[in-house]
Amino acid sequence: MRRWLRWDMLPLPFNLVSRHLVVSSLPSLPPAPLPSRREAHLWYIVPNELEDASLLQDYRELLSPCEKENVLSIKGEALKKCAILSRVLVRTTLSRYTDCKVNPRLFKFRKNRFGKPEVEHQNGGLWVPPSLQFNISHTSSMIACGVTVDVPIGIDIEEKRRKPVNNLLSLAHRYFSPYEVQYLASFMDPESRQSEFLRLWTLKEAYVKALGRGFSGAPFRDFTIRFKKSTDSVVPERPKSEEFRIMIDTASDSENLTANWQFALVELSGSHLAAICMEKDENMPGTEQEFLKLKVWKTLPFVEDKCMSETDAVINISGLS
Amino acid sequence: MASVAGTAFSVSARPPPRSLQVFNGLSVVKSVSFANQRKSIPSLRSHPATSRFRVSCAAKPETLEKVCKIVKKQLALPESATVAGHSKFADLGADSLDTVEVVMGLEEAFGITVEEDSAQSIVTVQDAADLIEDLVCAKSS
Repeated sequence: MRRWLRWDMLPLPFNLVSRHLVVSSLPSLPPAPLPSRREAHLWYIVPNELEDASLLQDYRELLSPCEKENVLSIKGEALKKCAILSRVLVRTTLSRYTDCKVNPRLFKFRKNRFGKPEVEHQNGGLWVPPSLQFNISHTSSMIACGVTVDVPIGIDIEEKRRKPVNNLLSLAHRYFSPYEVQYLASFMDPESRQSEFLRLWTLKEAYVKALGRGFSGAPFRDFTIRFKKSTDSVVPERPKSEEFRIMIDTASDSENLTANWQFALVELSGSHLAAICMEKDENMPGTEQEFLKLKVWKTLPFVEDKCMSETDAVINISGLS
Repeated sequence: MASVAGTAFSVSARPPPRSLQVFNGLSVVKSVSFANQRKSIPSLRSHPATSRFRVSCAAKPETLEKVCKIVKKQLALPESATVAGHSKFADLGADSLDTVEVVMGLEEAFGITVEEDSAQSIVTVQDAADLIEDLVCAKSS
């Protein structure tokens, strides 16, 4: 078996000696065990917590030539930083799931016909575990990457306090389904309406990204997200936290918009809403299909990883088992 | 030309394979063949369009200026921020919700409707202005 010399396996003194082989002195990433079939893993970075310019430079070196060129073409330091961190998050996260056998720099990506990025499994040389699926989302203050094995995943994050510029009902009338418009209109308090709007938005985004079709390939008005009270009666008023399930309705004749997807909605870090969508496991018993398992880590790759599941940083709104 | 308007901007038939690029969470399909035709065959504009072709008027300067203003407002950018034809939406920090807000702002300002799949081809502010000009031309003809 061919052995690859990995710069990040070398302890620091060797890095200095064999400088021509080494781009930076980043240590190894800890490996991560693969998510199980009904599990999604979420890794997130908070860009403001990276202040070390030389670390950012080291991160930049992990990018492919094409990615580096793209970063160069972006104007504005904050956006450049975000672009670098996005790529670094994807590459380092995937690397962890290869037991760190695959260097983050070595991953290649392709896009499906709608533009969704996927890992390109290469022939020969590199070992990549079966079918790692990922999806990324970012705001100016957080970048997140969701990972599953074998099943498609879509995620979307938004700042909790985000206030759209346009009138929410106008946006809903223009883009959402009639049921969803009615649901939003039932909230008189502007803050509640804003909160429900963002919940619907992130869930719908997560769905079209999981489908791999994106907003253009799956217009938002063609499917409905609704919240069903756990006692199995549909209620128009706002259900209490954790007592409702997230359901999706699509037209029965729609071949592109399938309905066998499960959702989770969580509050992250007190500041963000995160929606996760993954395909249901048809082999699971009925009720268990509704919930997914989620593990969450906050990371500054090569510096610190913190498991945030079971802490206040991850609050289940709906969908988690 | 009503028939042009009816077919040019709501392409639902499966198009031939095109090169792809991601646009902030929206799927973007950048049509190589159309882009070439737009630049190299200006006379295409005067022909009645089939359902595969998009009539293309380059945006008037005042349209572009109005689009830039609306983009700036919808993205809540500071007055000092530069928004010009060559500005890429991705580089302005627009995410998918921003993009939708921009499109809606443009629809309201110009009195047009942009179909979701037409938005696929918008990478720069100029692209948006050109599309707006197309739609306004089609509406008034």
